[in-house]
Formats: sequence, structure tokens, C-alpha cells
Amino acid sequence: MVTYQETQLDALGDSTRRAILAALLHGPRPVVELARDLPVSRPAVSQHLRVLKEARLVVDEAQGNRRVYALNPQAFGSLRDYFDQFWSQALDAFKRRVEAGDDRIGKPRSVRARHRRKEKARGYRHD
Amino acid sequence: MDTGMTESTTAAPVRKTITVKADAERAFRVFTQEFDTWWPRTHHIGKAPMKRAIVEGRAGGRCYTEQTDGTECEWGTILAWDPPHRLVIAWQIHGDWTYQPDLAQASEVEVRFTPVPGGMTRVDLEHRHLERHGAGAGAMRTAVDSPNGWSGLLQSYADRAAS
Repeated sequence: MVTYQETQLDALGDSTRRAILAALLHGPRPVVELARDLPVSRPAVSQHLRVLKEARLVVDEAQGNRRVYALNPQAFGSLRDYFDQFWSQALDAFKRRVEAGDDRIGKPRSVRARHRRKEKARGYRHD
Repeated sequence: MDTGMTESTTAAPVRKTITVKADAERAFRVFTQEFDTWWPRTHHIGKAPMKRAIVEGRAGGRCYTEQTDGTECEWGTILAWDPPHRLVIAWQIHGDWTYQPDLAQASEVEVRFTPVPGGMTRVDLEHRHLERHGAGAGAMRTAVDSPNGWSGLLQSYADRAAS
């Protein structure tokens, strides 16, 4: 089964299509404008847009006699899902660590001294 | 047809809140100075395994990891440093796990530490401007981060990109 993620990956595997997506980050654009800023022909841009539309990375809309393309707001869905899951796990680990207490207490003096030197180098100590 | 087109496309921020049994000073210190003690070991962009994760404690400070092969991999910059209240980090990692030096193309992680009754601290995290990583970054990222092993998938992506 081909998933949307695979379709999207295929769609992203082309530098012109990535350039189109980057251009659309600034707002919706008609094909003619996109073609003007890219080193490919207008029919080629239309073909790339078709691939991006099938991958649900862009949406299109008729405005008068021209067709305007925009990034699909849903195209960021999987990135949001990724970070949503990532931060849940990371913050759980952070909470466990904060509540576990300070493990530097009880370490030998030489370890603490080395730790202090490193802290100073990283901006945490100014003594 | 209503496609919800707007002048520019943004992605809704990811927001997380957690309350920890510690004062704000300790919570802030563990989040930054002791970052290495809780940061998921799987999350780095080095080629060799990660040895240590470091967050430099100052505005403009670097966030980086030290790898077992001796290399350092930067992944972020401290944009705001206000201990023990607030911290903003630029998240400079592309969807394909490469370092992005341009701050205008980085997302931002803001973390706020607020004391709450009972000697506890509420930690509010917001990861915003995800759209700066580009549409489709999520597909790439989840693919490279899947249990199947990201290096193999990254290779298959590179093969596709090159074809």
C-alpha cells in the first residue's frame, strides 16, 4: 500500500518541486508567477504542481480566469504530530529527572571540580 | 471552493504543559545546564552516536551535541535567556536532519517556568513557526525517524532526490 507519506516523499524528491513549495511559503501564487521565478517552462511547473496536489502538499483555487496555488495547511500536520509526540516524551523524561534529585551530591571532589570548570566554560558559572 | 487560502501559510504551534515537583530555579537548571541528563539519546544529527548534549547558558549560546567520534553537531541557538523564568531556542534542524545555519528558516521553542503553590513549577513549552521548515518536512522527518531506521530511509530519500 502506498501511503500519503510515501507519496509526499516522492513529491519532495525533486528540487524544482521543493523550490515551488518554498515560493508558496510566502503566500498563494498563480502558475504564471511561479514559472517566472523558476528556470523551467510553464507546462513543467503545471506538471510539478499536479504532483504536489496529488501528494496533498498544495491546494488550488480558481480566481477569475486563473488558477492560484497555495500550500495545503494540512501539509504541516505530520510535522506537528512529530513534534507533539517528541515533546511529550522529552518532557516526561525531563520531569522524571527534575524530581529524581541532584545526583552531583556525593560525587568525588575531582569530579565536581571538573564539572565546575566545564560549567564556567559553558556560561553557567562566573566565579 | 473554500480552501482556506490566506496571505501566508502558517502551522499551528505545538504546546505542552507539565508540572514538576521542584522550584523554578531547579527546573530551569535541569532543563538547560543538565540538559544532557534527560534529552532523548536518540535525538541528535551526528553521524556517530551521541556522547553528550550541551546547552550554553547565555543569549546567543549554542546548543550542540558531542559525538563519540569527537565531532560536534550544532542544532540550535539561544535566542532569549532569562533564568529562571524563560528560554527561547532556535530549532535549526531541517526536515532531513541537517543543520540549518539561517535563523530565518528555523522554528522556535519557548519554555516558561512559573512557580505554582506547593513549591512546584509549571513548565509551558511552545514550539512555533514550524512552517519555516517547509511543507512536507513532517513527511520527511517521520520517515527518517521511523523504527525502520532513519539512515536507510534517508538513503532511499536521497536516491529518489537524485533520480
